[in-house]
Amino acid sequence: MSDRRVFVLGGGISKMAAERPDGNIRDWVVEAAMEAVKDAGVEIADIEHATTSYFSDHFDKQLKQGAIFHDCIGMCPKPNVRVEGGGGTGGLAIRNAYAYIKAGLCDSMIVYGSENMGRHVPSDVAQQFIALASDTDWEVQVAGFYIAYYALMMLSHMEKYGTKEEQFALASVKNHRNAMYNEYAQSPMKITVDDVMNSPLITSPYKILDNCLLSDGASCLIFATEEWAKTHSTSWYRKPRIELVGTGSGTDYMRLADRPFPYPGITHFRAKKFASEQAYKMAGIKNPAKELDCFEVHDAYSGVELVSCEDLRLCGYGQSGKLYEEGYFDIGGEIPINTSGGLIGMGHPVGATGINQGIEVLTQLREEAHPQRQVKLTNGQGGMDSHGGTGTYVAVNIFRRVD
Amino acid sequence: MAKNVFQDPEKTLYPKLPKIEDIDPKDRGMVKTKLQVFTADDPIGPKLSYNPINREDQDPWKDFREIMRIEWNMEITYRHSLGKYSKFFIELENKKFFATECPKCGFVWAIPRPVCPDCLEICKWKELPGTGTLVSFSVSEFVPGFMDVETPYVLAMVKMDGADSLFTHQLRNWGTERTKIKTGMPVKVVYTKEPVIHPMLLMWYEPA
Ligand SMILES: [Zn+2]
Repeated sequence: MSDRRVFVLGGGISKMAAERPDGNIRDWVVEAAMEAVKDAGVEIADIEHATTSYFSDHFDKQLKQGAIFHDCIGMCPKPNVRVEGGGGTGGLAIRNAYAYIKAGLCDSMIVYGSENMGRHVPSDVAQQFIALASDTDWEVQVAGFYIAYYALMMLSHMEKYGTKEEQFALASVKNHRNAMYNEYAQSPMKITVDDVMNSPLITSPYKILDNCLLSDGASCLIFATEEWAKTHSTSWYRKPRIELVGTGSGTDYMRLADRPFPYPGITHFRAKKFASEQAYKMAGIKNPAKELDCFEVHDAYSGVELVSCEDLRLCGYGQSGKLYEEGYFDIGGEIPINTSGGLIGMGHPVGATGINQGIEVLTQLREEAHPQRQVKLTNGQGGMDSHGGTGTYVAVNIFRRVD
Repeated sequence: MAKNVFQDPEKTLYPKLPKIEDIDPKDRGMVKTKLQVFTADDPIGPKLSYNPINREDQDPWKDFREIMRIEWNMEITYRHSLGKYSKFFIELENKKFFATECPKCGFVWAIPRPVCPDCLEICKWKELPGTGTLVSFSVSEFVPGFMDVETPYVLAMVKMDGADSLFTHQLRNWGTERTKIKTGMPVKVVYTKEPVIHPMLLMWYEPA
C-alpha cells in the first residue's frame, strides 16, 4: 500500500430527533456539512471529492439523492460517489474515504450521510420500508421483521451462554444515560433496568426500550492527507490530529437461516469478527479491549450490542452479560461503549449513523466531549462498528490520535 | 400495564414535538394538497445546548422556520418474478416441500438456491419429508400492520430433516401456553386450505 496517511479533520452533526419538521433531508446534510467545514477549518471550495451515505430511496421518494446533497453544498463539478450497505452505510462511506485518498484519487474528501426516517410516511409504511432490507422473497413474506430476527438470535445467545434479559437492558440504560451528555442525541433518558424490563414487550425478549430509534438527522466528516491538511486546514495546527489507522469490512449470508454452524450459526456476527480482525491487524492492535479507549458499537437493539462486543473481541464469547453487570463497558470502565448514546440513545438515521460513530470517536480522541461522557485516554485509540441487516454488511474503522 | 417511561417527565429529557393540526380542506387556498403551515422551533435550542461554541447565534436559521407540508400519494404494483426459485413455490401448491442439493459439495440448502454459493455449481431439486426440529424462535406481541398477521406471532428457525441449512417460517397452532414452545421440539410443514396472496404463505409450521 502507498504510504499516504489519512486524517480526519473535522465533523459536524445536525440534531437527531424523531422528527425534524424544521427542515428536510437536504437541509440537515447542509447543516452537518457547514459544521464539519467549520470544525475542520477548511473551505468547501478546496475539498476535492465527496462520498454520499444514505440507505433508502423510498423514505424520501428521491433516487440519486447524493446529487442533490452534493450540489446543495457547492461541490459541483467535483466527483461524488454513493455508498450503500443498510445500517453499515456510514461505516462503509468512511472506509471509502480511506480507499480513495489512500489510492491517490483525491487528497481530501467530504463524507456526508443522512436519512429521512419516515415521518413523511405512516409508521406502518416506514416499517415496511425497513423490512424491505431483509430478503423480500423468503423472509418478509413470512412476516420476518428485524426485531423478530434479532430476538431469535438473542434467545439463542441466552440458551447457549445463560445471558439474561436484565443484562441486555443494562446496555439500554447505559446508552440512554450517555445520551444525556450529548446535545445532538434524540433520546437522553435517566432510566433503570426495571424501566426497560417494564416497558411494553415487542418481541420477547425485547421491550420497547431495548430498541434503537427511527431518527431524522445528518452528519458529516472531512478526511484528507497530511500534506493537504497543512495547506488547507486552519485547525490542523490547533487541534489534536486524528488518523484513520485501520479499516475492515465483512459480510454474511443475507438470511440467518443460511449461516453456517456452529459459528456464527444464528448466535453471532461472523462479518463483524472478520471486519474487526482486518481493522485491528491494520492498526497493529492485538488486545482491543486494552488498547482502545472507546468503541461505538452498532446497538440496533440492546442485545446486538452485547453480541457485537464478543465478536469484536472486546470480551470473550458468552462473557458480555456478566461484564455489563460489572460496568466494564461504562464510561470509566475497561472499554466504554457508545459514549455518544449509540443508536439507542443518540438515534439511528441509517445513512448518518456510521458517520455519527466516527464523529464520536473523533470527539473523544480530541477530548472535546462533555466531561460526563469524556473517556480517559490511555492509548489515544478508538473504534467504531457499523452494521447492516442482521450483520449482513459490516465496517469497522479504527482512529488514533497522533500528537 | 407497565408504566410507560416515555410519559414520565423525570425520565425523558428530549423536547416534545408540538401537535401540528392539519389545515381544513376549505382553508387550503390554491394548494389542494396543503396539509400544514407552521413555525418550527430550533431543534437544539439554548436550553439543551451545553456547548456555546456550537450555538454562538441562538437561532441561526430563524429566517427559515416557516414550513409547509403537502400530501403526496403514490401507489406501486409490481409484476414480480420468482425466477429460478419458482419450482419451490409451484410444488408448495402440490403440498410438497423441495430443497436443493449441490452436486459438488452435497450441501442441501433448505431455502433453495439454483446455484450453491459455496461452489458456484448448479444445484438439483430434492424433495424433503417436511419435518424438522425447532432451532430458535421469537414471539412477537407486535407485527407491522402491513404484514397482516395475528399476534402473538411466532417466527421459527427450523432444521429440516434432510437439509443442512435452516428454514424460516411462522409457527402456528402452538396452543395458548408459550412456555410449551421449546427449542429442540419437532415441527412439521402444514399446507394451507385457504387461498393466499403470496405462494410463501401456502405453508407454515406446526408442532409435530
Ligand atoms: Zn456446493
